[in-house]
Amino acid sequence: MILTLATHTLREAIRKKIPHILIGSGAIILAISPLISSANEPDALPKIMLILFFQLVTVLCITGIIIYSAISLPYDIEKKTIFSVLSKPVSPFKFVVGKTLGFSLLAAFILAVLGFVNIVFVFCASSHRLSEQKGLFKARKEFNAQHFHIQGKVHHEKEWIRWIMGGGEGIAVWNFPNLHEKTKKTLPFEVELRLKLDSSRDIADTIPLAIGIEGIHSEENKTEVFSAKADEILTVSINPEIIKTHNSIKITASPVLDTDYIGATQNSVKVFSLQKGFVFNYAKAIAITFLKFLLIIAVAVMGSAYLSAPVSILLAFTVFLCGHLLDFVKDFSLLLHHSGAHEHAFPGMIKKPNVFMIYMEYFSKKPLEWVSFILPDFKRFDSLSYLLKGINIPLETIGFSVQYTVIYVLICTLISCILLKKRELF
Amino acid sequence: MDSFAVKIEGLTKVYKDFWKRKSVPALTNLNLEIKQGEIFGLLGPNGSGKTTTVKLLLGFLYPTSGRSWLLGKPSGHVQTKNKIGFLPEESYLYTFLNAEEILDFYGKLFNLSRKERKERIDKLIHLVGLNPYRKRLLSKYSKGMLRRIGIAQAIINDPDLIILDEPTSGLDPLGRREIKELIREFNQQGKTVLLCSHLLADVQSICSRIAILDKGVLQVAGNVKELLCQNEVMEFLVKNLSDSDLELVKKFIEEKNGEVLSMHPHRSTLEELFVNIIQQHN
Repeated sequence: MILTLATHTLREAIRKKIPHILIGSGAIILAISPLISSANEPDALPKIMLILFFQLVTVLCITGIIIYSAISLPYDIEKKTIFSVLSKPVSPFKFVVGKTLGFSLLAAFILAVLGFVNIVFVFCASSHRLSEQKGLFKARKEFNAQHFHIQGKVHHEKEWIRWIMGGGEGIAVWNFPNLHEKTKKTLPFEVELRLKLDSSRDIADTIPLAIGIEGIHSEENKTEVFSAKADEILTVSINPEIIKTHNSIKITASPVLDTDYIGATQNSVKVFSLQKGFVFNYAKAIAITFLKFLLIIAVAVMGSAYLSAPVSILLAFTVFLCGHLLDFVKDFSLLLHHSGAHEHAFPGMIKKPNVFMIYMEYFSKKPLEWVSFILPDFKRFDSLSYLLKGINIPLETIGFSVQYTVIYVLICTLISCILLKKRELF
Repeated sequence: MDSFAVKIEGLTKVYKDFWKRKSVPALTNLNLEIKQGEIFGLLGPNGSGKTTTVKLLLGFLYPTSGRSWLLGKPSGHVQTKNKIGFLPEESYLYTFLNAEEILDFYGKLFNLSRKERKERIDKLIHLVGLNPYRKRLLSKYSKGMLRRIGIAQAIINDPDLIILDEPTSGLDPLGRREIKELIREFNQQGKTVLLCSHLLADVQSICSRIAILDKGVLQVAGNVKELLCQNEVMEFLVKNLSDSDLELVKKFIEEKNGEVLSMHPHRSTLEELFVNIIQQHN
């Protein structure tokens, strides 16, 4: 019976041409994306397409789905079509679950079609220069350092960041045990260094860094010098034979010049195994986005079980915006407590917060933190950053998102059923 | 209680205003029993509480006080609705579907098998005279056609109790007659029919018992024939008597201290005339 109600809801949406409008609008946005891409970078267009899809097209579709799912039930009540359904052996629980499932099927259908269109566009846009865009089409598995320490002298420590001075005074060391065991395959590996860079030199665009990659028990101190730029990630390839031979590796980094400094934490360096499977990774990103849809649908249906159509639309949009606003609040506080700046930083890196921002944070952060316990946190559903960084979305992330969504949807559905059961249908 | 299809005890409904203060009494202390297998008419002017009673029985509204049972189970009991058919006061249907699709949808809600649904849809569409329009979207139906498909959906589950709220509204006299015949047919099959209407002629012609509501209060309830019967006034329908013979009858009545209140040729109703003309034309 729930499936009957769900397919009925889906058929109603199709007859009212809801997916036609959303898919059409989404496809138009994706089609015009070449017009707004920059030609300077080799993977600019596929990146723009991914960003447009996950940040504009999905928001457009969520808007459509919010409106449709928030007005459907009040419309049924207002037009009294609900009488002919609830006079049959249909409980409010089945009615609400059927409706929610119907909207979810609609969302899944729209996402599947637009997701397919997008990936076709991405591949079409990049086929003639695929080799240049390997970075984007990776689906790398991420490994975090298990141990981090400084060999030699720590210049100073500020907000959990350990700063070392160059010229052989100190070396940052990260240990990555059992890499070969974890992958079971001879895969290419690479390391990404996200270090805080600083220099007392007046003009210093780049800082020479000595990077060493060797077995964890190796006594060799072979290093190579790389030029690192501030605010840019330094990527270094690892010889797969090192990992196959040693299983566990250590990575060292230190500035070459004594005028330069690096700030490091345990998470500043990550190792990635390079795996194929961008399409599978993309499918996982779509699945996580679908969970976002599911969550907001449950919220919209919950509102519509008791409120009028305009108010339930407003409620769903408020929840949706606040779910993203929490993310903004976190970024806002980061701006205030800029922890990365060092005394010798390049001019312009030190940003002093103004009074207005401090007051804003003081008044808005605490209430919003309380609200965040009730409202959904949509940051959990950020899959675009994984795709853009070429990182394989871990199954744990998907599992956690599924659990979060299921709990949230169950609570919302339960509340919807109670509200609809208590509601009198005049 | 099982011998009653519907039982209502002290049912009261007071609507609340925006501030949840009780303001409008829609139904006051209604007590009613409808036996299984009878056609019961619930009469009253607009706003008398007929539809409120039906909504309370089906669990769409909650009573302020009192209780009611349908087929032995408390009102709103979900599984009991398997044996109930309901036609709302207007055909509130999903107009983006056609006749076949909407009956199929409601059939699925009763968990009817595909074969059962197909058989019943064919039968009902023929029964309500919509076979030529079965593929047409309901949004393109006339009010009368919507009423017919509304009646079809109310009986798709072959119910034991049928609640019809103004079933003949929007129908032409021919359609009204067909519906009345259909209701009589239900009665012959042993089904109970609760008919809400303010069309007194319709109710009089088909109901065995009635109740009259006014401003939410039950005014009278009982057998139609008993309620309409005036024992001191007799009505004769005679045929093939000459004027002189009629005068003799009149004289005889007056001799016996009787009073002739009216004597005139029998007139058929406008409905009978209309139906006869249309049927002859077809």
